[in-house]
Amino acid sequence: MLGSNIADSVVDHALSLGADFAELFVDRNQVNNIATLSNEVQSVQSGIDFGIGIRLVYGYKVLYGYTNKTDLDELRRIVSELSAKDLRDPINQKLAFDYRKPEEHHPASDVLSLDACIDGKVAYLLAADKTARAASNMISQTRGSCMQREQSIEIFNSEGLHIGDKRNYIRTSLTAYASDDGEQATGSWNDGGLRGWEIRSDISAAETGSEAARQALVNLSAKACPSGRMPVVLGNGFGGVIFHEACGHLLETTSVAKKASVFHDQMGEMIANPMVSAVDDGTMANEWGSINIDDEGLETQNTQLIKDGKLTNFLADRLGAQQTGYERTGSGRRQSYHFAPASRMRNTFIEPGEDELDDMIASIDKGIYASHLGGGSVQPGTGEFNFAVQEGYYVEKGKIQYPVKAATLISTGPAVLKEISMIGKDFSLACGMCGSVSGAVPTTVGQASLKVDDILVGGNA
Amino acid sequence: MDVENNAATILDRIRAKGAEGDLIVDEGQALSLKARDGELEEHKVSSSQIYGVRVIKDAHVGTAYSEAADEQTLNSMVDQALINATFAKVEADEKILNTTGSLVTDDALLCPSDEVSIENKIQFVLDMEGDLAAKDKVQNVPYNSVSDSIVQRRVFTSSGLDASLKQRMCVASAYALMVDGDKNVMDGSGRAARQFDQLSYAGIVEEAYERCVGLLHGEPVPTKHYDLIFDEEFQVEVFSTFASMFSGKTAKDGVNPMRDKLGDIIADPRLKISDQPLLTDGFGYALFDSEGTATRATPLITEGRLETLIHNSATAAHFGVSTTGHGIRGPKSTLGVSLHQLHIDKGSDSPETLFSGEYLLITDLSGLHSGANPISGQFSFGAAGYLCRDGERIQPVRNITVAGNFYDMLKKISAIGDELFWNLERSAYMPHVRFADVAVSG
Repeated sequence: MLGSNIADSVVDHALSLGADFAELFVDRNQVNNIATLSNEVQSVQSGIDFGIGIRLVYGYKVLYGYTNKTDLDELRRIVSELSAKDLRDPINQKLAFDYRKPEEHHPASDVLSLDACIDGKVAYLLAADKTARAASNMISQTRGSCMQREQSIEIFNSEGLHIGDKRNYIRTSLTAYASDDGEQATGSWNDGGLRGWEIRSDISAAETGSEAARQALVNLSAKACPSGRMPVVLGNGFGGVIFHEACGHLLETTSVAKKASVFHDQMGEMIANPMVSAVDDGTMANEWGSINIDDEGLETQNTQLIKDGKLTNFLADRLGAQQTGYERTGSGRRQSYHFAPASRMRNTFIEPGEDELDDMIASIDKGIYASHLGGGSVQPGTGEFNFAVQEGYYVEKGKIQYPVKAATLISTGPAVLKEISMIGKDFSLACGMCGSVSGAVPTTVGQASLKVDDILVGGNA
Repeated sequence: MDVENNAATILDRIRAKGAEGDLIVDEGQALSLKARDGELEEHKVSSSQIYGVRVIKDAHVGTAYSEAADEQTLNSMVDQALINATFAKVEADEKILNTTGSLVTDDALLCPSDEVSIENKIQFVLDMEGDLAAKDKVQNVPYNSVSDSIVQRRVFTSSGLDASLKQRMCVASAYALMVDGDKNVMDGSGRAARQFDQLSYAGIVEEAYERCVGLLHGEPVPTKHYDLIFDEEFQVEVFSTFASMFSGKTAKDGVNPMRDKLGDIIADPRLKISDQPLLTDGFGYALFDSEGTATRATPLITEGRLETLIHNSATAAHFGVSTTGHGIRGPKSTLGVSLHQLHIDKGSDSPETLFSGEYLLITDLSGLHSGANPISGQFSFGAAGYLCRDGERIQPVRNITVAGNFYDMLKKISAIGDELFWNLERSAYMPHVRFADVAVSG
C-alpha cells in the first residue's frame, strides 16, 4: 500500500530529526453495511477508508500525525511539523526493513474484496425479521444490519519492522420492537467474528429473530424495578461487560502508567475473590476481538490478568511497557490510522466456575437476575460503573417473580471483584465495540453466570 | 484536482448514468496536545478529507464514500453507490432538492485566523496540567487536552447547489484524580472558544478542583423522591438523550411516541423549546443542512404544546409538510434528521425561587444512553451532585441513581430559571429547569 522506499525515507527523516523511534501505520479499510427495516432493505452503503498514521517518540513523549495522502513530500512535511519543537541531533540509527508476514490464525474465505454477497446477507436479515414478526402480532417492527469490513494494515518502524496483515470482520444484528397499548419495548441479538460471510453456516436467522422477539416481548411485560442495594446474578456472555469496563480498563497500562487506575500499585496482590480468574486472550481462533498481530506489529498473546483472585498481569503496549516496566502483551490497538496505539483489551473474560445458575437464584432472598446487560460507562480513575439491564427479573425467596424494566446497576469494579460469591459453568462469549483513547476497537466479553452479593440497583418502583 | 473539479466530475458521472445525486466533502485540520507530569505527552497534527456520494435512480437510493481522492477511486465510488441503490427499497419521498446557487459562511465570524503560536499552546496545556496537579489532594491529571481544529463541509448537488460551512473550534479540558485516604474521585472542567486566545486555563483549573473537592466525600442520600436541577452540562445531555422525540425520521419509522401528538399539550405550559441554528455563538451553527436547505429558527414546544417535528425533505414529503432544514448526513451515512442548536426560552423564576427549599443539584450522570429508552421515555441513570436547601449545598452526594420517565417529567416542572447558559460544547442554550418529584435511590 506504501512503497518501502517512501517509508524508508520518512523513517530516516524522523530519526535525522532526533526521534528515538518512528513508525508508519498504513491502513486501508473496505466497508459494506446493509440495513433493513422490517421486511425491506433500508440502505446498502460501501466505502474505502485510507490513511497513514505517523508516530514519533521522544522519550515518553508521543508525536502523532495522519494524512490521507501517500506522497513523500506530504509525509515528510508532517514529520517535520511534528518534531519542530523537539529537534536534536540524531540518537538512533534506522535498521533496514525486514519484511515478514505473520502466521494466519483466523482464516476467512468469503471476504469482502472478493464478493460483498449482498443478496445472501439481505436474505438472512429478512428471514430473521420474518421469524421475529411471526412470534407475536405485538412485534411491530425490526431493524437488521450486517456489517462486513476488510482491514489491510502495513507497519514500518525504525527498528527494521515491516509487517502486514489482513483482518476480516463480520457482524450481524437484529433489534425487534414490541408494541402494545402505547407501550414500546425492544430486544436484540447479534453475532460476529474475525472472519468472512462464511459465518452464515454457524449462525441462524431463525434463532436471531426469535431471540430478539422474545426479549422485546419480555420487556414489554416488565414492571418497574425495585431499587436499593441487593444481590444480583449477572447472566453469561454479555454479562462480562461489567468486568471489561469496570476492571479490564483499569488493567491497561494506558491508565496504569498514569496512576489513573486503583490497581496501578497492586501487582501480585489479592484484588478479587479467590474463585475469580480472568483472562485477556487475543489468540482465540476467529473470535471478534482476536488479532494475529497488534497495531504495533507484535504477535498477540493470551494474558492471564487475575489468577485465583491475585493480580498477575497488566495489558501493555510499547509505550506502556516503557513507562511501567511490564512486558508488552501484544495489546497495542487502535481503531484506525486516526489514532496512536494504546494498550487495549481483546477477548476478555472471567473463567468459568462450578456453580449452577439455578443455585445462584435459589440463594437470593430479594434481588435481581440480570440475564442480559445493555451498555454502560465507567469512570476509569475510580472504577465507578453504571450499566443498564437489557433483560432482568426480580427474584424473591429464591424464585424468579417477574421481569423488570429501566433497571441500572451501580458499583465499582474493585468492589464487585470482591463481592463475587458464585461462578457458574455456562460460559459464553459476546462481541461488542470498546471505545477508549485509541478509538473504537472490536472486543469480546464473556463469563459464565455469576452472583455478586451487593450492587446498588436503580429502578423506579 | 481540487474539490470543486472533483465534485464536477462526480456529479457529471452521476448525471451521465441517468441518476441524480449529491456529494458531501468534509475536510479538516486539527492540532491536539496533552500533558503529563509537566511534560508534553502527546502532540497530534492531522489533515483529512473524505468524499461521500448519494445517488438516486428510479427512486432507489445508494451511498458510498472514499478517503482516497484519485479519479479512478472517485469514479468507482459513484459506480458502487449506483450498485448499492439497486438493492435498496423504493424511497418515493427521497429526492435531490431542486436548489441552485451558493451558500457560504463568513470566515471572519466562524473561522477567524489564529495568532497564537504553537509554543504558547504547548505552554497552555503544560500550565493547565501543572497548576491542577499542584492542588491539594490531586494525585494527577490523567486526562487533559488542548485542541484547535478547523472543519469545512461542502455540499454539492446535481441540481447545481454549492454550499460551504467552515468553522474553527478551540477546546481545553482537564480531569483530575483526587485521593484522600480511601476516598477518591475524578472530575474536571473545560472551555471552548472560536479563537485560542479566548481560552483561559485558570478557570478550568479552579472549576475542576472545586468539582473534585466538592464530591470527594459524597455519600448516598436516603431513597425517596426529590426535586432535581441538573447543572449546565447534564441538563443539555438529558434533553439531547431524548431529542429523538422531535424527529420526523423516528416518527416515519414508527418509533417516536410523539408522532400522533402534534398540537397536544405534552409539557408544562411555561416550557418553550425551539431549534436555533443561526445563533453564531454556538458551535452547532448551521447555515444549511446536509441537503443544502437553508436553515431557520424552528419552534418545537410552545406553551407546552408540540408545534412540529423536525424534517428533512424525505420525511417532510412522507407527512405532507415542508422540510424544516434538519436533514443530517455525513459522507459515510444515509439521510437522517437532527437538531442543530437546542434552545429553551428563559422562564420567569428568579434564583431565589428556582433554588428554594430542598432539591438535588445533579453535577454528574452516567449511563445516559444505555440507561435511557427514548421510545418509552423511561430512564435510570447513575448520578452524583449535592443535596441543597435554599441555594446552599448541604451534602455532597454520590452512588445514587435517578430514575423516571422523561416525558412525564416534562409535565412536572416546578420552575424555569430566568438566566440562559451555553453548555461546554456550545451546542445548546437554555435556563435551569427544576423537575419535581423524581425517584432517587441511594
